[in-house]
Amino acid sequence: MKFFISNLLILIWATSAFAQASTFRVLDRSTGDPIIQAHIKSGEETVIATTNTEGYFSINRDDHPVIILTAVGYRAREFVLRPGMEALYMNPDIYRNETGLLVLANREGENNVQAYQQQHHAQNMDQFLDKIDGLSTNKRGAFAWEPVIRGQSDQRMNLMIDGMQVFKACVDKMDPITSYVETSNLSELHIDKSGSDVASSGGGNSSINLITRRAEPESFSMNVSTGYRLPDNYRTLSIAGNTSDRMGRHAVRFSGSYKKADDFISGDGTQINNSQYEKLNLNVSYRHRLPSNHTLEANYITDKAYDVGYPALLMDATKALADIGQLRFNFAPTEKSWRVETIQIYANAIRHTMDDYSRDVENRSVMGGMHMPMFGETFTAGARTNGQATISRHSFEWFLDGYFSQAYGDMEMNSLDPDIEDMFIYNLQDVTTWQGNVGLKHRFMISDDLLLKAEQNVALKNLDTGSERFASFFEGLYNRELDTRPALLISASGNLLWMPFDDWSFSGSTVYSERMGNHMERFGHYIYNYTDGYFYDGNPWLKTEQSFNADLNTTWETDSHSISLSLFHKQYFNYIDGILAENTGNTGLEFKRYANVGDATITGGEFRSLNRLGHLLSIENRVSYLYARNQTLDEPLPLIPPLKGFSTLHLHHGESRLMGELEWAAAQHRIAQTASIEDVTGSFAVLNLTWERDWLNGSLTSILQANNLLDHHYHTHTSIGNIPEAGRSVMVSLSYAF
Amino acid sequence: MTFLRWAGTLTALVVLIFTLSSCDITNSSDSDSEPELDLVTIGSVTSGDYTISLESDSMLETGVNQLYWKIEQDGNLISPGSITITPLMDMGDMMHSTPFQQPEVAPEDDRYFSNMAVFIMASGSMGSWSIGFDITLPNQEVLIGEIPVEVNSSWRLTSVRDDEDNIYFITWMHPRQPVTGNNTLAFMVHTRESMMSFPPVVDAELEIYPYMDMGGGSGHSTEFTAPDAQEAGYYEGSINYSMSGTWTTSVSLTAGDVTLPEVMFEYSVQAQ
Repeated sequence: MKFFISNLLILIWATSAFAQASTFRVLDRSTGDPIIQAHIKSGEETVIATTNTEGYFSINRDDHPVIILTAVGYRAREFVLRPGMEALYMNPDIYRNETGLLVLANREGENNVQAYQQQHHAQNMDQFLDKIDGLSTNKRGAFAWEPVIRGQSDQRMNLMIDGMQVFKACVDKMDPITSYVETSNLSELHIDKSGSDVASSGGGNSSINLITRRAEPESFSMNVSTGYRLPDNYRTLSIAGNTSDRMGRHAVRFSGSYKKADDFISGDGTQINNSQYEKLNLNVSYRHRLPSNHTLEANYITDKAYDVGYPALLMDATKALADIGQLRFNFAPTEKSWRVETIQIYANAIRHTMDDYSRDVENRSVMGGMHMPMFGETFTAGARTNGQATISRHSFEWFLDGYFSQAYGDMEMNSLDPDIEDMFIYNLQDVTTWQGNVGLKHRFMISDDLLLKAEQNVALKNLDTGSERFASFFEGLYNRELDTRPALLISASGNLLWMPFDDWSFSGSTVYSERMGNHMERFGHYIYNYTDGYFYDGNPWLKTEQSFNADLNTTWETDSHSISLSLFHKQYFNYIDGILAENTGNTGLEFKRYANVGDATITGGEFRSLNRLGHLLSIENRVSYLYARNQTLDEPLPLIPPLKGFSTLHLHHGESRLMGELEWAAAQHRIAQTASIEDVTGSFAVLNLTWERDWLNGSLTSILQANNLLDHHYHTHTSIGNIPEAGRSVMVSLSYAF
Repeated sequence: MTFLRWAGTLTALVVLIFTLSSCDITNSSDSDSEPELDLVTIGSVTSGDYTISLESDSMLETGVNQLYWKIEQDGNLISPGSITITPLMDMGDMMHSTPFQQPEVAPEDDRYFSNMAVFIMASGSMGSWSIGFDITLPNQEVLIGEIPVEVNSSWRLTSVRDDEDNIYFITWMHPRQPVTGNNTLAFMVHTRESMMSFPPVVDAELEIYPYMDMGGGSGHSTEFTAPDAQEAGYYEGSINYSMSGTWTTSVSLTAGDVTLPEVMFEYSVQAQ
C-alpha cells in the first residue's frame, strides 16, 4: 500500500512539475554504492519519491527545497537541495548493522571517530582499536598492538589500507599494518566482524579496512595539533592541510605527524625498560577531476619508526619502514547496464630491522649468549576494480581484485663466544603469494522492512617459494616432494535485515569461508612464537581451513537511546595450529609445526547501550565476551580476552566536554595450557578522565587527559609476557584549525 | 575498423612472440661441443711423446676424491684403451695403499678416464703419496709410471677400530659442501684386509645424529634419514640443515654383530 501511494504521489508530482524536475542520486558514503528504495520525504511522514534500482530519483527543487532521506540500514538525513547538487550521501547505521561495523570520521555524520569513542587525534590507532566492541589487541609493549577481531588475529583476519593488501614484514608480528595509518589521517574505519562482506574484502574473514582521508575539492584548510604526556615524555606534533583550485579540479591533501615516547611506568612505579618508540608518518594525496567528471586520485604514505622497544620480546625494532602508494580512477556514474566504478592499482614495501644489542643476552633464557639481528621485508602489488551490472533486470555489484606478494626474512645468530661460528637462518626465503578474486554482491528488497543481501566470492590462491634450496628444507622436514598448486577458495554469505518497527531491527547473517594457510604457516621457518615459547616451522601441505559463522543482532534505537545486542558462533574445521615436533634431543629449544589440528569454536557477543539524558549528559556502556575452544585439545584457545567492557559518562556544557571512562575486565581463568604457556589473569578496572574545551569559536581545542587515574597496576590477558599497562599518565593536547 | 586493426596487430605480435619462443635458437652444432669439466691439475708426467695428467674437482684431500686421467699427445687428447692404477703411501719403513676403484671411461667426457679414491691419510712428515699407472693406448702402446700427489687433511674422513683391532674407515662423501636445506647424505665405509687391500664394508648399519651447539646452553638437531647400504660400501640417506654454522654429526657403525665406538664429523654449513 505504501509502495502504491508513494508511486502515485510521484506520478502526480511528476506530471505537474516535469519541466522543472531535477535528478539526484543517493549513494552510500562508505562504498559509493547506490541506495535503492530510499524514501524521499517532505517532512517526517510524506513520502514524495523513492530511488530506483540505480539510486536515482527526480524532484522539483522549488517545491521541495528541503528533504529527508530514509533507507533501511542507513541513518535518516536531512538535505537542503542546492543548484549543482547531484549526489546525496547516506551513512550506514552502525547500530543496526553490528556485524559490519562502520565508523566514519567525517564531521558531518554523528558516527565519526571522535563521537564514537570521544577520542582525539593524539590517540594512537592501536589504542583506538582496542576500545571498539568485539576488538582487542595483542600487546608486546607500548607500540604497534596487534588488532584482534573476536579472538581472531593475524592470519584469520584481513587488515587492509584503502582495500589494499599490505603484509607485515616482521615474522614476530611487531608491525601490524594498523600502525601505518594515524588516526588524524583516518577517514573511515570498516570493521567487518563476521566476515560477511565476502565480495569486496574476500575470503569471508573478519576484516579491518582503514580508509585514509583523501584530498577534497575544498578551499585551503589546515590543522596543527600537539601534545605532551607525563611520565613517559610522550610528545607529538601533527600537521594536516587541504587545498584545491577554485574549480575543484585539482586538490591536494597532506599530513605529517611525529611522535616520540620514552619508557613508560607501570602502576607500581616500575619503569618498563625497552618500551620507548619514535615514529614519523607522512601522507600526500592528490585528486584530479576530469571534465568528464571522472576523478583520478594518487595517494602515498610513508611511515618510519625508529628505536621501538618491545619489552615482551627478545629484541627491539631499530627501523620499521613502510612505503604505500596507490592510484585510483573513479568513473563518473553512468546509466549503462555494465559499468565500472573504480579501478585501483597499488604497491607497497615494508621493511623491518630489529636486534637485541641493547639487551642482556648473556643471561637470556631463550637463545642466550648470542645476538640475533633480524630483517624482514615484504613487497606487494595489486589491482582492484569494481562496478555494477544489470542482467535481466537484476542489478548486482561485482568486484575483481588480484595481488602478488613476496616475503623475505632472515636472522643472524652471533655468539658471544668467539669460538662459535656465526649462524644464519632464512625465516622466509623468496616466498611468493598470489591471489585473484571474483566477488558478487546482490541485494533483494523483499518488502519495505526486509532486506536480503547475498554475496559470493571465488578466489584462486597460490603460495610458493622461488628458492629450491629453501623448498628442500620443507621436503626434508616432511619427507615428500614439494608440488605447490593453486587452491580454489570459495566463500559466501547471506545477510537478512528485518525492521518491523522504525526503531527496532533484527539481523542475522551466515558466512562460509575457506582459508589457505598464510606464508608464515606454509613457509615460515624457525619462527619463535612468544605466546607459547616454541619455534615454528611451516607446512606447505596444509589443507584448507574452513569456517562457518552465524551472527544475530537486535538493535532498538530512538533519538535518545540505543541498545544493541550481537551474538555469534564460529565453527572452524581443519583448524590450523602448531603441533609438537618430535624432540630429537634439542637443548633449550622446542619446536612445533603447523598442521590441521581438528576443530575449534569461538562463541561470543557484544552488548552496547547509549543513553542521552538531555543535552548535557550521555552514558555509554559496552560489554563483550568470548568463549573459545580448541575441540581437539579440549581446552580454551589462547589469548582470548575475558569478559570486558567500557562505561563512559559524557558531560557537555557550553564549550566544554567532560568524559569519565571506566575500563574493566574480569579475570580470565580459561587458559590454554597445552597449546600455550599463558597463565591466569586477574580482573582490573581503571578510570580515565578527559576534559576537552573549544576556544576561539571552535578553532582551538584543548584536551586534558588523565588515564589510569588511580595508578592501578595490572596487565591485560592479551599482553604477551604479562607486560603491565601504563600507570597514571597526564596528557595535554592542543589542536588549532584554520 | 580501428578495433579490428588493433586486434590484428596484437594477434600478429602474439604469434610472433610465440613463434620466437618456440624456436630453438641455439646453434645445433653446440650440442657437439666439448663438455667442460672444471678440473684442477693434480700432477702430470711425460712419457715419450705423451703427457699423462691427473686432474680432480679440487685439490686432493683425505676422504673421497674423484680422479680424472688425461692422456695427450702433442696437445691432442687421446682416449686410452685402459688404465690401471695403484695409489701408494710411502712411509719410509712401510708402504700401504688406500681404498680406490680402477679408472673407467668418464661419463662426463669419454676422452677421460675417472675413478674414485679414498685417501686415508694426508701427505706430510709421515709419508708421501704417489699413484702408479699402467696405461694401454689404442695403438697397444703401454705407458707405465707414477704421479706423486699431495693430499691435504680434511674433516671428511675418520676411522674407528673394533676390539680385535680391525680398522674401519668412514668417509663423508655427500654433501661435499653442506648447505642449508635438504642434502643427500652419503658415506663410504671401508676396512683393511692388508696394507694393499681395503675392501668396502657392504652390510654395515649406520646410526647418525646431527647436532648444532649454538652456545649459551642452546642447541638442536634436525631432520635426517639414516643412511642405508646401497652398494660397494656406499651408504645413502639425507640430512636437512635448518641453518648455517658449525654442525656435528656423530656416526655409530655396526658391522656384523659389533657396534663400534661413535665417531664425530664436525663441519661448517653454508647458507644458500
